[in-house]
Amino acid sequence: MAQIGQGILTLALAMAILGIGLSIVGERRRIPELANSGLRALIGVTVLLILAAAVLMLSFVNHDFSLAYVSGRSSTDMPLQYVITAFYGGQAGSLLLWSMVAGILASIAFYRNRARFPRLVPYATATTLAVLSFLIFMLVVVATPFAVNHITPAEGRGLNPLLRDPGMMIHPPMLLSGFASFTVPFSIVVAALITGRMGSEWLKFIRNWALISWGILSAGIFLGGWWAYHVLGWGGYWAWDPVENVSVLPWFTVTAFIHSIIVQERRGMLRVWNVGLILASFVLSIMGTFIVRSGLISSVHAFALSDIGPYFLGFFVTTMVISIGLIIYRLPLMRATGGVESAASREAGFLLNNLLFVAIAFATLWGTLYPLVTEAVRGTAITVGIPFYNQVNGPMLLALLFLMGIGPLFAWRTTARDALIRATGIPLGVSIIAIVVILFLFGQPMAALGIGAAIFAAGAVVVEYYRGVRLRQKNAGDSVPVAIFRLARRDPRRYGGYIVHLGVALIAVGIIGSWFFQSERQVIVAPGETVDLAGYSITYDGLSTKQNADNSEVTANVTISEDGNEEARLGAKRFFYRGFEDQPTTRVAVTTVGFDDVYVMLLEWTDDQRANLRIFVNPLVTWIWAGGALYLFGMIVLAWPAPAVQPVRAAAPAKQGGMLGEPAS
Amino acid sequence: MLDQSPAKQRVWLNRKLLFAGVILAVAVGFLIYNAMDGSAAFYMTVSEIESEGTNLHGQKVRVGGDVVDGSIVRGDIGEEIRFDVTDGTSEISMVYDGDVPDIFADHAEVIATGTMGPDGVFVAEELLTKCPSRFESDEGVSD
Repeated sequence: MAQIGQGILTLALAMAILGIGLSIVGERRRIPELANSGLRALIGVTVLLILAAAVLMLSFVNHDFSLAYVSGRSSTDMPLQYVITAFYGGQAGSLLLWSMVAGILASIAFYRNRARFPRLVPYATATTLAVLSFLIFMLVVVATPFAVNHITPAEGRGLNPLLRDPGMMIHPPMLLSGFASFTVPFSIVVAALITGRMGSEWLKFIRNWALISWGILSAGIFLGGWWAYHVLGWGGYWAWDPVENVSVLPWFTVTAFIHSIIVQERRGMLRVWNVGLILASFVLSIMGTFIVRSGLISSVHAFALSDIGPYFLGFFVTTMVISIGLIIYRLPLMRATGGVESAASREAGFLLNNLLFVAIAFATLWGTLYPLVTEAVRGTAITVGIPFYNQVNGPMLLALLFLMGIGPLFAWRTTARDALIRATGIPLGVSIIAIVVILFLFGQPMAALGIGAAIFAAGAVVVEYYRGVRLRQKNAGDSVPVAIFRLARRDPRRYGGYIVHLGVALIAVGIIGSWFFQSERQVIVAPGETVDLAGYSITYDGLSTKQNADNSEVTANVTISEDGNEEARLGAKRFFYRGFEDQPTTRVAVTTVGFDDVYVMLLEWTDDQRANLRIFVNPLVTWIWAGGALYLFGMIVLAWPAPAVQPVRAAAPAKQGGMLGEPAS
Repeated sequence: MLDQSPAKQRVWLNRKLLFAGVILAVAVGFLIYNAMDGSAAFYMTVSEIESEGTNLHGQKVRVGGDVVDGSIVRGDIGEEIRFDVTDGTSEISMVYDGDVPDIFADHAEVIATGTMGPDGVFVAEELLTKCPSRFESDEGVSD
């Protein structure tokens, strides 16, 4: 199997390099057949990568421990789903998955659009193939999944217990796919820069693919939070850990892009900025892949030891230099054709949104890389903790939330004051009342402001939908549900986007609730004892143990009740996996009662059944998951292909100046 | 209003936008500067801490190293644990009173944040084991 796998990868490398040449020569000499062969080479490389992945997967399923990668992270007693998970439980498998996803997405994107954008596709193909060549080179030479053990062990080591969780089956591949997917928008931008076709062509090409990258990455980040909350067992879902930071960095820049691209389409502004955002997103996703896999940040001194580090650093620097060089070279072609005319305009709102997203990305990057910078400059690494991110990003995220409420109500160019007051009046009133009520009840000014901003943001969505529905009722005689459905179908980017906004508002309420109003208690209890926390009674019913196929488990049984009514019987567990006995993996007990999560974690226990429990009551966490689901739903609406007919522009908000000066699309 | 010349627009763009951008940049810079004070901690090796000795008294420090084999002393449940941490050349004793992470054991690579006590025992407020996002624990280990 090892030779077959290695052979396939070597062939893929050769084909990728050949494909770069074919694409470039084909485009420069204007020989379409040659350029098409380049595209076919990309598809061929993708097929070979899928084959290599299949060979590796087969080795896992067959427990072929002659492969070091297989014996290092799987064993015969592991359930099949975790044997499959083990595929990307290491560097080589992750890189293989990354390359495969990048190849698949690029093949689809470029093959489907080869006739629509004949001048862009060849260079985009060459760019993707260049990225793939690097990764396949790594897979063949540096971090190969097909390395052979000198002596084939009888049994494998097994997978790290932290990865043996259903959430881990989808979170890492989703996040890696998100990173990998940025190869497509990046390649399109590079093709536009090289060919100098900086008009509206590349925008049409990139739009959906930027949305797809943003969608996959968003899903990956959500799943990560969900996994952290249910498995890592510290009562939270986000800790501004370097690994989390690098996953959210490209999300900040691509979210900025999907907003600012609208400004370029409508007003011809922000051309350089948009190109920069895509290049930054790709560079940051490379950094994400690289830091997650090399341990550059978490252990500062491991850099020199990591065998893939220097290669990735080289690739990273090369990509940056080429990207910046291309932007400077094409600067004359990227003059803005419009300008901001009023601060109360949609474009000004988008501009501020972009500045905030980029500022948050910068602050996060700063905090993440600070230990590296201080190590280099002062010889001593200085790290920053969670308070840094909360103090810096907190106010900016609050500003973004507020902007999300007012931005959609601004018109392009300039907004009439009366119209703006009419549009914002009700949401603003409701959110001010909410702020006052929360201040009066709980006295937390930041929480009150945050929830007020979230209500305001949700209000804007309601106002926009209300206007759209009213207009459809009047013009087309639609009933309310039909009108909502047709709005979302006719202009999915706008009305799907609003659903995402609503999801974000829910998530914001959940984050604020669980951050400011979390209750926590750590207790040592004997069986039968009851602990009270935030209105709940948690009764400890004693320990039980159980032997499973690949682990033994210890469970602290608890009964959760509220006002004497039993709500749930749960087990807070610890697992001892074979080969990882000194690493008792946590499985927290969580139950949702109304808006609260009661969250119990088993820390320690004794032979006489006493247990050390940590108990949290986390209000509103379920809102985060509900908001996440709504966000994902909005994303699907947004990316769903609109009908071919030109959308009828529904109720343009508070507009002054009519449709004059708008591009004819 | 709509037939403003491009030149005029650019002036608007340049002046006010630049002004707004500068204000935002200054605000962000201030936020970062302000937040650095409260949350920055020196990241040191065990040897560096030993050589600094009492100079570090009261200073928040983050230290990384491996747990010395057999040094972990657990009290009754809920009580603090004591252990030694080494970087290969030096060792320091630590005391920690909090949740013990999943992967904490002999040889575990830990990152502790806390202060050096007057008795030379490091009082850890936060204890992290090697980042669980790195699953390469088996590679490069020969024993």
